[in-house]
Amino acid sequence: MKWARVTIAWLESRSGLGAFIKPLMSHRVPASAKWWYVFGSATLMFFVIQVVTGVCLATVYAPSAAEAWASLRYIDSEVPAGWLIRAIHGWSSNAMVVMMAIHGLQVFLHASYKYPRELNWITGVFLLLVVLGLAFTGQVMRWDQDAYWGLGIGASIVDRVPLIGSQMRDLVLGGPIIGGETLNRFFALHVFILPGMAIGLLGLHLALIMRHGISEMPRAGERVDPATYTPAYEARMEREGVPFHPDASQRDMVFCGACLIALIVLAAVYGPFGPGAQPDPTLIDTNPRPDYPFMWIFGAVSLLPPSSETVVMLAAPALLVVWLLLVPLLGRAGERAPSRRPGMMLAAALAVIGIASLTWEGMTSPWSPVMDAWSSLPTPGAMVRGRKALEVQGAIVFQYAQCRNCHALDGEGGRRGPELDSIATRMTPEQLTRQVQQGGGNMPAYGKNLSSAQMSALVSFLATLKPSDEAPADIPGALLPLPSR
Amino acid sequence: MSDPQFEDGGCGGCGCAGRAVSARRGFMSKAGAGLMAVGAVLAGIPVVSFVLGPARKRFDPAWVALGELARFPEGTTRFATFINPIRQPTDGESVKTACWVRCIKAGSSYQVFAINCAHLGCPVRWFEQSKLFLCPCHGGAYYEDGSRAAGPPPRGLFEYAWKLDAGALMIDAGRLPGMEDAP
Amino acid sequence: MNGVPSRVVLFIGAVLAAVTACDRLPGMPSEVAPPSIGSEAWTRATFNTYCRGCHASGADGASIPLMDRSYWTFASDERVIAATANGQGVMMPAFSQSAGGPFTDDEVMALARGMRGVFGGSSGAGISATIVPGDRANGEGLFANACAPCHRDGAPGGSLVDPAFLALVSDQGLWASTLAGRAVLGMPAWNHAMPSRPSGLTQEEAADIIAFVASHRAAKKDAPP
Repeated sequence: MKWARVTIAWLESRSGLGAFIKPLMSHRVPASAKWWYVFGSATLMFFVIQVVTGVCLATVYAPSAAEAWASLRYIDSEVPAGWLIRAIHGWSSNAMVVMMAIHGLQVFLHASYKYPRELNWITGVFLLLVVLGLAFTGQVMRWDQDAYWGLGIGASIVDRVPLIGSQMRDLVLGGPIIGGETLNRFFALHVFILPGMAIGLLGLHLALIMRHGISEMPRAGERVDPATYTPAYEARMEREGVPFHPDASQRDMVFCGACLIALIVLAAVYGPFGPGAQPDPTLIDTNPRPDYPFMWIFGAVSLLPPSSETVVMLAAPALLVVWLLLVPLLGRAGERAPSRRPGMMLAAALAVIGIASLTWEGMTSPWSPVMDAWSSLPTPGAMVRGRKALEVQGAIVFQYAQCRNCHALDGEGGRRGPELDSIATRMTPEQLTRQVQQGGGNMPAYGKNLSSAQMSALVSFLATLKPSDEAPADIPGALLPLPSR
Repeated sequence: MSDPQFEDGGCGGCGCAGRAVSARRGFMSKAGAGLMAVGAVLAGIPVVSFVLGPARKRFDPAWVALGELARFPEGTTRFATFINPIRQPTDGESVKTACWVRCIKAGSSYQVFAINCAHLGCPVRWFEQSKLFLCPCHGGAYYEDGSRAAGPPPRGLFEYAWKLDAGALMIDAGRLPGMEDAP
Repeated sequence: MNGVPSRVVLFIGAVLAAVTACDRLPGMPSEVAPPSIGSEAWTRATFNTYCRGCHASGADGASIPLMDRSYWTFASDERVIAATANGQGVMMPAFSQSAGGPFTDDEVMALARGMRGVFGGSSGAGISATIVPGDRANGEGLFANACAPCHRDGAPGGSLVDPAFLALVSDQGLWASTLAGRAVLGMPAWNHAMPSRPSGLTQEEAADIIAFVASHRAAKKDAPP
């Protein structure tokens, strides 16, 4: 074994690698740094997995709009374990975003971004942006209908930038349409530019962690004072700190190992994401949805009123990023304990609740018409049984005029407008007629599109929609309006 | 800016010879920085124009045939597809483009709507029975004439300019419709 | 002695097993070929997407119940193909591509034949798929006898001589409803025994009744403007 020792000694003498790594492993971390601190390591692990699986995929994937979709299907069906590598890449991408959010939230809750770690936080914010960029460009790599129309949504948002929106859109798409160059520039972003930025920022992020040490758990009353913090921290580490390896790294390993196994199981059981249907823009029978990390944005843009939409769509993300960057600069000193920072806790809670509920809204998208509801969901039997001839025709009008696409009956149908199971208890036939004819409240006007016979049949049907034990909105037994003629 | 090396006399204030050497060094480093700057500009011009190319390049839309007029009977709104006149070699299927053609008066009055919702560009679908275009993304709705009926779109559907040529309906197409297009 | 080698063998075996098992994991995407046009699966899927909203079974749905056998006993393939391709009456849309719909001519034909195979059977001999001319005067008496109990003004079935109703239903639609009946609405088929007529109506009598009912239709068709 002598030769091994000699070789290692030679390598060490020439490279200095051991001297570089040793302080990384043995640097002292606070003993209080327990399970709270594993999320950053897990994010890093998922990033490494992304690099490894991403390089694998790049050896087969064809970054050409004419061939990308077919090459993905080839990876899924022909390349050994190809589908599993795609599945791991896809699941790990979502896991990285989630883990990064948890890591950032933990740092925010404990105010670890305060002096002297402001730049740690700021590099973290840029890492977050880069990772979200990787997630979006990764969705484009699938080059299916969701990717195509997702690009269209992105392009439409960029297009709304005042004055230079049009040029910016061409720059993003690489031309006047979503086409060959679009995929290639997103490919360059996804595999060269953004990973390069991520690796650079990660190096900086980690170097800063080494430079300033890991923050201790916050304690109420223990204020951060930039004048005295660093020597005091270093003295405490000298006195009470523990070596990173193995005291802290063992928790990292346990957590990362568990995450890794969970990732592989998820990938093996649920498989890869997409690709969906082929990216042919003339196949319009499609229902474009973004990937999970962007579902909340998809949800948010449907809830904005048209008047303020452009401003909010463009300004809100910029303001959010500026605010995140300013957080450590404006709050560099003072209390770190969550109990002493109620305002910040409220902001964090609002952000989490907001993103979670917008994600849910985005996934259920109740504002979207159910495009084939009118032709696929039959009128519930209870709503036609025992009805008069004209009312039954009204039920047909209800299907025929696509009312069902936005209005559910018996729980089935669109959710854009109110469910109409008991509409007759809320509106009189006169009100129903007016609503259908003139629209309003986000409903189109049907006055020009329905004949008077269709209108009166429809209203007579709607007037029957009420629980049998409840009174109609008007005087019981009131006459329906006769068709005007 | 004065060069401190030069003021100090370069290598330890050892007289005229040293002064001359450091003067030469000062010149060399200035010249070197200058040459690098010129080189960087020369190298930067093609890189920047390559990267910004798509934003500067203007694409001329072209007239594209959508088909015989008989395909678009009076009073109907029909689906039509065309191959985008602006092509790149690797486009694949993405150059196929769809639109909706409304014939108001056969042979004289048409409207050709882009498939893209004016809200965020998703493909709108026409419903003949309710005479509405509906968008699957955020529920934008438009009337038969393309005007906004409900939902988040800030305006009506984008329209292509059209003309009749030898019994065929032609549209002026190319660029993905967007805010640049007049309302 | 063999502690290490057996572990190595075990490890190699596990790796091999994992590699071969790779393609049997539940997450592996499987290529499911879409059902071929005209197959039962295709017919059902197509019907469920495009037709079921109006033409469901006896339990649900507001228009002619195509999932019930009764309609298929008199409807001919030509009739079903024509109605599917070009639409029918006021509210049945045209589904052929030449009329702006989603189906090719082949698909229309395959759907019509497929529906008969899945929901119905062969059409009965001697019953006309399309309405035959009837005698209005004779129909008036028959109507009072066979239909009025449910369809006079104020009766549970509602008036049939209402112009709004007649503006929405074509004669052919009346014919199909009369022959097929509307079980979900409690309306029997034409040949159903009724107190006044144990053997039900004849084809000609049904046509007479429809001639009487249709005579109340407003002269000018009330179509959308």
